[in-house]
Amino acid sequence: MDPLLKIYRLFLTLVVLVLLWIIIPFISPILIILILSFIFTSIFLPSVDGLERRIKSRALSVLFIIGSTIFLIIWFLGVFMTNFSIQIKDFSVKLRQQEFANILNLLTEKLKSITPDFLLNLVPDSAEIINSIQNSLSSLLQNILGLVSATGNILFIIIMTLIFTIIVLVEYYNFKKSIVKFIPNKYFEIGLRLIYNVEKQVSKYLQGQLLAASTVAILSILGLLILNKTGANITLVIFIGIIAGFANLIPMIGPFVGMVPAILIAIMNNIGNEYALSHQVLGNVPSPFFIIDIILMFIIVQQIDNNFVTPLVVGESTGLHPLIVMISLLIGGIVMGPMGMLFAVPAAGVLKVIIQELNFIYQNSHLI
Amino acid sequence: MKSLWENYFSKSRTDPIKLALESVPIFYDLTTSQIKEITRLVHRRTYKKGEAVFKKNAPGEGMYIIISGEIKIKDPKSKMIFATLSKNNFFGEMALLDEEPRSAIAEASEPSTLIGFFRPDLMTLVSRFPELGNKILINLSKVLAERLRESNKILMEKSD
Repeated sequence: MDPLLKIYRLFLTLVVLVLLWIIIPFISPILIILILSFIFTSIFLPSVDGLERRIKSRALSVLFIIGSTIFLIIWFLGVFMTNFSIQIKDFSVKLRQQEFANILNLLTEKLKSITPDFLLNLVPDSAEIINSIQNSLSSLLQNILGLVSATGNILFIIIMTLIFTIIVLVEYYNFKKSIVKFIPNKYFEIGLRLIYNVEKQVSKYLQGQLLAASTVAILSILGLLILNKTGANITLVIFIGIIAGFANLIPMIGPFVGMVPAILIAIMNNIGNEYALSHQVLGNVPSPFFIIDIILMFIIVQQIDNNFVTPLVVGESTGLHPLIVMISLLIGGIVMGPMGMLFAVPAAGVLKVIIQELNFIYQNSHLI
Repeated sequence: MKSLWENYFSKSRTDPIKLALESVPIFYDLTTSQIKEITRLVHRRTYKKGEAVFKKNAPGEGMYIIISGEIKIKDPKSKMIFATLSKNNFFGEMALLDEEPRSAIAEASEPSTLIGFFRPDLMTLVSRFPELGNKILINLSKVLAERLRESNKILMEKSD
């Protein structure tokens, strides 16, 4: 290649990169909406196609699938919030009782007696704990209210994503045809192959992830029910299970996020329960409030998911190297916070499929 | 009134894509709505004179039906022409079933318009409309069986 042409191309790439750098902050909400719509379309497409086969109307199929999903989410959030507020109310009543202060006192004394001297300063006073819990409870409600007011932008993104997803699902095959129209004859078949394979892999990957999340949810619910049989007294079991399932979509961090609500609720429900306080697991390991039992149960669920379910349903094709997973999680977290972490790994999976296909094209470029 | 009639009724009868599809054995015995469904999936492409539709050894993705023009199927090295195809002929149908590389080059010997029907589209039909997908697969099998019978006949004649 002519060295001048090389320099020209390098210059052009640099200009495009700089332009992208400048433009991206302005178009990032649109990009987020497009990426989310693409992900949701890939998730819902097989069910929409399946329903269309039965009722012979695509628009009705899309409306039914999206409608029932929205209904389920709203129902879940509604019931969860109601139950959760009842739980918090009960807990704050318990907090005010003197009995709780006594138990906490007992617990801190116990903790102090088994803690080496040089770590003694780290064990807080029971009064301090009660104060901080009461403060955090009152600020929790304020935080939730603050969150609602800050969700104006998120609400806009959700509504636009919903509209985009509905339109793309209804017009999916026409959209695909319109995109294909722009591929030059020379790259036509290879372009079709690229689109089809990316579509297939992404759909398989996302559905696999959802299936793995559902399995984690069901296994967690079963595990919590078994713990309840042994007297753990954990309420909101179904909700904890579903939260653990969704948290599982975030690799590495997710499983720990899933444990937190279960542990919190176990503590809330078992305050004043002597049996739960002195509970032991595996013969002689102290597990106050069943905390160690819960952690063990989630570790078992996680191992079942990692070793049996995920390899089976997600497959090796889109399996990402742990380092790539960590880097994409970090990037997602920095760019978009927790939402970014949720979508970082699927996005990295999609990118991997695209790179694989582009590599195939590059290696077969002499045939085009 | 006439234009309204044309718009709603006559247009489908003169639609070149629909006519071309109906002339291909792979789409025989399909209802009007099934043909309409395929019309929505296929891709209309135009090729200049001398432009390749596909090259030898390229991964095959599907079949083409000629709406207008002429396509030559030939060997790129020896330049030997295997077939010259014109309006309503089809080629590349084997790629609907497997991902084997193309065995020859297809080149437009005059400006041509083709309809492309590809494996992903067939798979979409099989999953979205299994009855229609099955009909197409059976027709495709019939076409390939016919080809096999012809090849056997030629081999038998040569061995005699």
